Amino acid sequence: MGVRRARALRAVGKAILLIVGLAVSIFPYAYMVLQSLAPWSEVNRSIVPTQLTVRSYDWLLHGSAIALARPWLRAFGNSALVTSASTLLMLASALVVGYALSRLRWRGRDVVNQVILFQMFYPAIILLVPTFLVVRQLGMYDTYWGMIVPKAVNLWAIFMYVSFFKSIPQEVLEAARIDGAGELRIISRIVLPMSIPITAVVGLFLFMERWSELLWDLIVVKEYRMMTLNVLIATMSGPYATYPGPLYAASTLLTLPIVLVFVAASRYFTRGIQLVFK
Amino acid sequence: MRRREEMRGWLLASPYLLFSLIFFVVPFAWAAVLVFTRWDLISPQRHWVGLANFAEALASPRVQAAFWTPFKFMAIFLPTVLVAAIAIALLVNSLGRWSGLAAVGFFMPYLASGVAMALVVQGILSYNSPVSDVFFRLFGDVPDWLGVPALAITVIALMIAWKFSGYYALIFLAGLQSIPRELYEAAAIDGAGQWTSFWRITLPQLYPALYSVMILAVGLMFGIFTEPYMLTGGGPDLATHTWYLEIYYQAFSALRAGYASAVAVLNAVAVFLVLTVVRRLMEWWGRATGWV
Amino acid sequence: MRLARRWSSRAAAWPAMVAVAAAVMVALAVEGALAASATFWSAPNPTQEIFWRDMAKAFMAEHPDVKIDVRAMAESPTSEATILTAIAGKTAPTGSENIFMGFGAQLYESKALVPLDTLPGWNELLKSRRMEEAIQGWKFPDGHYYVLPIYSNAMLFGWRLDTLKELGFQGPPRTYDGVFGVARRLKQAKPRMFLMARAELLDTTWWQRWFDFFMLYDAASDGHPFVTGQEVTADSEAAVGVFKFYQDLNKERFLLTRPSTDPFLTGVSIWSDVGPWTFPDWKQRFPEMKLGQTFTLAPPPVPDRYPADKPIRTFADAKGLVIYAQAPKEQQLALWQFIRWVFSKPDNDLKWLQATSLPPVRGDLGVSPTFAAYFKEHPELVPYAEELPYAVPPFANSRFSDVQTALGEAGLVPAVRGTKTPEKAWQDAKAAMEAILKR
Repeated sequence: MGVRRARALRAVGKAILLIVGLAVSIFPYAYMVLQSLAPWSEVNRSIVPTQLTVRSYDWLLHGSAIALARPWLRAFGNSALVTSASTLLMLASALVVGYALSRLRWRGRDVVNQVILFQMFYPAIILLVPTFLVVRQLGMYDTYWGMIVPKAVNLWAIFMYVSFFKSIPQEVLEAARIDGAGELRIISRIVLPMSIPITAVVGLFLFMERWSELLWDLIVVKEYRMMTLNVLIATMSGPYATYPGPLYAASTLLTLPIVLVFVAASRYFTRGIQLVFK
Repeated sequence: MRRREEMRGWLLASPYLLFSLIFFVVPFAWAAVLVFTRWDLISPQRHWVGLANFAEALASPRVQAAFWTPFKFMAIFLPTVLVAAIAIALLVNSLGRWSGLAAVGFFMPYLASGVAMALVVQGILSYNSPVSDVFFRLFGDVPDWLGVPALAITVIALMIAWKFSGYYALIFLAGLQSIPRELYEAAAIDGAGQWTSFWRITLPQLYPALYSVMILAVGLMFGIFTEPYMLTGGGPDLATHTWYLEIYYQAFSALRAGYASAVAVLNAVAVFLVLTVVRRLMEWWGRATGWV
Repeated sequence: MRLARRWSSRAAAWPAMVAVAAAVMVALAVEGALAASATFWSAPNPTQEIFWRDMAKAFMAEHPDVKIDVRAMAESPTSEATILTAIAGKTAPTGSENIFMGFGAQLYESKALVPLDTLPGWNELLKSRRMEEAIQGWKFPDGHYYVLPIYSNAMLFGWRLDTLKELGFQGPPRTYDGVFGVARRLKQAKPRMFLMARAELLDTTWWQRWFDFFMLYDAASDGHPFVTGQEVTADSEAAVGVFKFYQDLNKERFLLTRPSTDPFLTGVSIWSDVGPWTFPDWKQRFPEMKLGQTFTLAPPPVPDRYPADKPIRTFADAKGLVIYAQAPKEQQLALWQFIRWVFSKPDNDLKWLQATSLPPVRGDLGVSPTFAAYFKEHPELVPYAEELPYAVPPFANSRFSDVQTALGEAGLVPAVRGTKTPEKAWQDAKAAMEAILKR
């Protein structure tokens, strides 16, 4: 009886912990969405609004005579474009480079692997100003290229692929080579299908981080029409300080896609935990 | 045949090589020159000033404040995030069928953009918010969350802990899942209770995960930008002024490219020293407890 | 192989996504290439943006061969920083407004501006806008003019007259002592209200100092120059007095220094710096704010020893427009044509006043019937026009941002927070500012 009571108590305790923990994880999201739908007199004055309204979203798109609408939808498109282009380039380059660094025999390979490790631990902040100068020199300042190209190759992604490819048996590749397949064909027909789980989970992480990037996008873009949604919210948080409702609406627009992408990919995510976090 | 393979290797690695040349080697060389110059990014001439940038940075109260800020954040952030992450990992690990779903739930905060969360925190802590009303009713006054140095540091450290607890929990979870069950069974035969086996088996087995999390978390504290940028601007009294804020401000607001680069070098040195100390401490501690 | 089959159905999505992305980029690149023959950045203030857009529309209707593209400048983190990084990024607009003299000096030293007096029709423009006298204060060290002043705006303080009357006062106090008297009575009657709610008192952003420190300093020192050349020439007694005033107010908990939403309008505070640009916004959101009933305007309070019959000075926020040297010549001339067209008609200055409530820099503002009628309809703008002769523009030094950041960091903020005595705060701030000026 004691044992059973103890077990039941433990189960209840666990359930309470779980509910509280998840509530803490989700609460800010819920607050943000609720405030974005609240009447303006209630924004930040009560947690659950007495009624729901889309006024904040409407105002965001149309503005008013004294607070002009900023290009919010375009900013959303900018975010989507920059993030997808960056993520695709990072994945594609990591796949090909990771393959070359793990599954091909060439003389510079080990040196390059060492250099990548050095670069991963090199403090990127030192390169912030000179990278801005490089981008400016290449005429990429205030363009999409300036947000995409400097983030087109990701060392962590290369590293992940290298360690993953080491598990592909060499015989499979040799057999394909004897059949006369070229390397690109081997990558697209054999290596890529095998690496779907890791691609999904690495891609998910790259996408999430690129979507919420602030510092670099803030530096490299100066006009409203070029800003990503994250930067536009940060920029307008001062001028729109007296309009918290629309800022919550914009934040909801920013958060929704990333949550949807994550939930859609959560299958891969739970399977990929061991891959990424070991 | 060998030559072709050699060529292929270089060719397939070329995206990385080209990228590193443009965005690593060139900036690397540029930075090495910049730190010794005074230049506003605009005017055609650059002044060679030797070590003056470093001298000025070391004497600057803003840089000194930025030096201490990570340690202040750490004091709140590390205990909070370690306890929360280990607790989440243990909880999720014991759930069985629902563990995947729970992991997804606890990971949600990691998706949040710091910009959006800063707006939420600002709203919740504003003077006439529902939370403030509760304080007024209970205490007749509400703390000045972002106006008192200790509170502002706490608020920002807790925001970051909220974001990263679920993320670090996954590292611990991966560690937990690789602990052999036999260890627990053997301990149970020896009559060890839950608590004992947590201290004797789980924690020592989690040491590698703990080591990685410590390095990640300490490193993170030196790269904070978004939260103070949105919430406090580094205030009050430079209490939440961070390295990245200083570098961003000097480079892109005051347009002092050389000085900002010098501050970045100091930041890198600070990170390197602190991480070295953390590594040594963790290794010493691992040896002292016999976990390694 | 099942995996491979599953993949191949999805593999088509990748090239498609890449193609879409590429198409969008090409489209945007083309859009950029077809851009206007001149771009003009308007101030972040939306009413100014609307004015310039309307002007550009009207101008292009008359001149179909010229295209003027008006865009609002972002503040990341300040509009000055936005302009500087745009110049640094070699993507500066053809011209912009929102340039005060100190920033003008900085741009001038970086050789980023076009001397406007070398462009055709400069003298006619001065004449038609009655600016011959006002322009003298905008001359640069080399004798040229790089900034065309648009508006000059004396800053005033707003007081909640309804609350003052409720507390038994007839009108706003004139001296520091009087302010304390009002604050004490307010705290007794309404313990949850504050004299002033200004989180920016603790914000070290350089331009915030204009609206707390300099308003009071210019009044207390009778406009004594704060910086001359590379020296801090401030009246120390006045500066320490301002620090002490804010420190004592905060000590007694009369100030709210944490963020709050619309405190002056929602009954949280009764005293606030007010610029005329806020009136269009009030009209929309707080129509109950009426001059002489709910609120009134007054110059800054002065130290108790200030002569009672002497007019009180204040800070004036004065801004103009510039043309950037980076832009191609034909763009510069196109924009200049547009600017001359705008300012050659008094009607447009009236439209400016209607749109923004900011007083245009015209010698005939007080006498011309065009404007007299408008002031009659908008009594809240009259005090600003009357204060103009006593207003002190910001000191014009190219290191303004570092100097005023230091003034906040080493001086005002610790003084308000009570971590330094006013004397020590001033000593430290002065030392920090001199170090910056000598750099």
